[in-house]
Amino acid sequence: MSLLQMNDLQRHYQTPAGTVKALDGINLEIQEGERVILLGPSGSGKTTLLNCLSALDSPTNGMYMFQGTEVPRSHSEKMTSFRRENIGYVFQFFNLLQDLTVLENIHLIQELAGKKDPVRAKELLKLVGLEAEINRFPGEISGGQQQRVAIARSIAKRPTLLLGDELTGNLDTETSNKVMEALVHACEQENITAVFVTHDEGLVKYATRVIRIDSGKIISDQKVDSSDEDA
Amino acid sequence: MSTLLNKRLARSLWRTKLRLVAVVLMVFVGVFAGITFGGYAHNLGGMYETMQADDDGGANLADLWIDNRSATWSPGQVDAFCDSLASEFGSNPAALFSLDSCEGRTVTQGTMFHTNGTGGHLINSFWHGIPGDANADRVWMPEGHSIGRTAAAADEIVIDAHVTEALEIELGDTVNISAGNTSASFTVVGTGYHPLHVMMAPEGTLFPPESGQYVVGYLSDTGMARLTGHAVGTSNTIVLDVEGTPSYDLPDTPEYEGEEIDVLKGIVDASLSATELDARVRDRGQNEPVEVMRQDLEGTKRTTVPFTVMIASIASITIVLSLQRLVQSQAKEIAVLRTLGVKRSSLMTGYLVAPLVIGGIGCALGALAGPWGMNGMLDFYQDLVGMPIIVRTIPSSIYLTVIGSTMCVVFLSGAFPAWKASRLDPLEVLSGQNEMRVGSNLLRKLTSWMPTTLGLSIRSSVRKPIRLTMTFIAVGISLMLFGSIQMMSAGLEETMVGGLENDQSWDAQVYIMPDGEQPVFDWAENNSANYEMLIEMPLGSVADADDIERTFTLVGIDSFESGMRAVSLLDGKAPSGNMAVTQVVMEEGSMRFLEWNVGEQQTVHINGAPHDVEIVGTATAELARTMYFLRGDLSEILGVNATSIYLEFPEGVEVDSALGEVSTGVVKRQTLLDGINSLLDQQTQIFQTMMYLGLLFTIVVMFNTMIMNVAERDFELATLRVLGASTRSLGLMLLFESLLIGLIGGIVGVLFAYGGAVGLAASFSSWQFFVPVTIVPSVAWQLMTGVILIAVAMTPFGIWRLRRMDLVEKVKDLSS
Repeated sequence: MSLLQMNDLQRHYQTPAGTVKALDGINLEIQEGERVILLGPSGSGKTTLLNCLSALDSPTNGMYMFQGTEVPRSHSEKMTSFRRENIGYVFQFFNLLQDLTVLENIHLIQELAGKKDPVRAKELLKLVGLEAEINRFPGEISGGQQQRVAIARSIAKRPTLLLGDELTGNLDTETSNKVMEALVHACEQENITAVFVTHDEGLVKYATRVIRIDSGKIISDQKVDSSDEDA
Repeated sequence: MSTLLNKRLARSLWRTKLRLVAVVLMVFVGVFAGITFGGYAHNLGGMYETMQADDDGGANLADLWIDNRSATWSPGQVDAFCDSLASEFGSNPAALFSLDSCEGRTVTQGTMFHTNGTGGHLINSFWHGIPGDANADRVWMPEGHSIGRTAAAADEIVIDAHVTEALEIELGDTVNISAGNTSASFTVVGTGYHPLHVMMAPEGTLFPPESGQYVVGYLSDTGMARLTGHAVGTSNTIVLDVEGTPSYDLPDTPEYEGEEIDVLKGIVDASLSATELDARVRDRGQNEPVEVMRQDLEGTKRTTVPFTVMIASIASITIVLSLQRLVQSQAKEIAVLRTLGVKRSSLMTGYLVAPLVIGGIGCALGALAGPWGMNGMLDFYQDLVGMPIIVRTIPSSIYLTVIGSTMCVVFLSGAFPAWKASRLDPLEVLSGQNEMRVGSNLLRKLTSWMPTTLGLSIRSSVRKPIRLTMTFIAVGISLMLFGSIQMMSAGLEETMVGGLENDQSWDAQVYIMPDGEQPVFDWAENNSANYEMLIEMPLGSVADADDIERTFTLVGIDSFESGMRAVSLLDGKAPSGNMAVTQVVMEEGSMRFLEWNVGEQQTVHINGAPHDVEIVGTATAELARTMYFLRGDLSEILGVNATSIYLEFPEGVEVDSALGEVSTGVVKRQTLLDGINSLLDQQTQIFQTMMYLGLLFTIVVMFNTMIMNVAERDFELATLRVLGASTRSLGLMLLFESLLIGLIGGIVGVLFAYGGAVGLAASFSSWQFFVPVTIVPSVAWQLMTGVILIAVAMTPFGIWRLRRMDLVEKVKDLSS
């Protein structure tokens, strides 16, 4: 079942040097439960696409439908509301709040979304393998653990779509793998669709679909079958 | 490279224009206040020196006053005393100073019959008879600020310049005056000032009535004889002047400085005994009009120092916080520069130079505006006391001290952030480790029961404890300026006005000559007015715990509860009459200074003779130290029935000339109240300037901190926004944080204000003035509410920042 659809989506920026076409006619449909990886060189437009997907940024032209409804644009509060209700976001540098414990970081997001559920918060931390760290502060745990907390936080409010921008970019390979495994596990358990931006081809194995972008256009869109994954 | 680095820093600073302006303003205000207060104190001191100087331009303030207001001395008695004194001075080897002059005078209360557009008025007055060849206590007639000449003939008078404008008196006018005898006309030949009447307050009170309600005039000795009906040379006061100025005790200091004048007093006492004269002997410290103004000047000088220090402290805290924030916000830039090989010293230079440039601009502006501020304050003081301040200069030492110390503070304020900037570890900064910190477990435990958003607000508020503490100290100092003055003013007003307004019911106080009460009774009965006799004389003295002689006013009244001058007792009871040991009530200030308690027996001197009294009660504080007797008891001791009579008028009855004729002066209670209120208003004006300065500082300090707090939280607020937190929920978090900081700031402010009020009251309180500190709850609430409102007023700024936050840019920052 289709979760979101983009038709001829464009995002252009005006600069002193002229118009920059960060996204230049993106046509994309993502099904529920897919795990999509966006690959591409620097400046290719993948982060801009992620920003448009999350309604952080408004497209210049084109259509973006989410669960059959047009996503708000150019209205900060409506866009925030859209993110609150539908989107989970994982940052490269985790961005946990240092003054809150691991558990409280998750409570906070639930509270802000009006969905406080302490039992679920603990379950999510168990899901990402951090049940022993719930009362520790982010500064007291490793980077990989912090990113797993960030994943738990991002899905705590039951988003429909989880987005991540270079979410393992700051981690070593072994930790990256652990984080991605936790993520895949969480997405499967929670039935969450995910879209990740990365430079790391090694992460392809965690995706069900790989989209390559260059110069603001999709240059390839491939399904990844389980036999590839196993290989 | 340094030039480029400094240019980069300058541009960075320019990006935070608002904070930059705030810091420059702080320095400006610090220097401006320092120069204004310093120049003000310097020139004020000069005014007194010029006026009191023993030269052709000055009035030559006497060193000792010998007086007896209930009797007069014949010219022969005065001459005998002065001869005896001269011979004592000549023969006493202990006399360090030689006698310059010994002069008899008559000074007396009186009345002026003044007619203007609104009809005839009786004005309470004071007349001096000054011989033409007087050496001490002359009329001061500064060029350009007085006109005419001194009175020489028997029908000439000089009117004090304080009142000529209000009464529209000009040279050549004729004034009709009396002094308990018949009235007489005098021609005005000049206007001038007198060192005993700098503040135009009637004898026995510290408060000048409104201009034109009290007149002082300077007659010749022949003119005084004509007015009083006595022989020329008859005196009730002898003024003594010696070469140089012997040290005398300053009543507001704990030390005793009166050794030199005591030698002179000993000689005077010997001569008084030898010539069998009864008199009170007072030096400058015991002569209230002189001492009050000296203390006022000292108070002004003293006040300028803490105010300047407070302002400088607030400025330096703001500078430290701002520069530290600047370094923090530039951490990445600094780290990159360090990675590229820029030397620590090159980095430090910029951060050291920046505050000096900021300080330099602030100092230049402050130095330019300082003379303007000083002149404003001197003009204000000139209007307040009505005396001209002729010489107005600011010595370069004041500029050097103020600017030098300010630049030192500014430099030191910049040194710490500069050192921090040079010590930043590039690796740590670039990997984000410098922003990594472990939260407080104590705070976690304390706030774990709260909703997480609330807990986060609290933890964020106290995230930077040093900054927060410094902010609270700065807010506390600002509110010390603001609130302590308010608290002290409330106590002062209660002391000055409270008793007169609430406990007293008389309409007019009529001063009389000894045994002169009957004509006033007759007038009262003819006008159906109630009357009550009163004795009020500044003739009490006592040695305090340090054996320093303290003088106080004796008041004798008929009833403590139901009279026209009721006395409000704090503890104890009203005295009973005709006891073996005279029972008295002493007011609060005297009890505290003397460390006396109710129930004790004390020996005091009344009109020079020792008397035992029993303290049976404490009355609420008066500004002047006062001992209350039942009039019958005091009358027996002093030998006078009354010194004045209180009158309560029925509807339609007013003071008239007939009453003036039978009195030596009439004071209306309303006039007194108006005068006190007017004085309070004027005093309040100067305090208000400082109060509002304090309020302005509070606003600047709070805004500075709140802006920094919000700016610093960009990272987490952006994260929360990206994760879907609404502006409303984040706004609520900011509001709660503001409320919390406001509340703590308010409490700290009230504590500082109270501490400041106690300190101020202690520095103003002396034997002459006693200022109790009363905590007025409304003032405390006002302070709390003010700080909370200032803090809360920052919430919209935070929300505005949230709304205009470019999330796409922020996400870039969050991902790089």
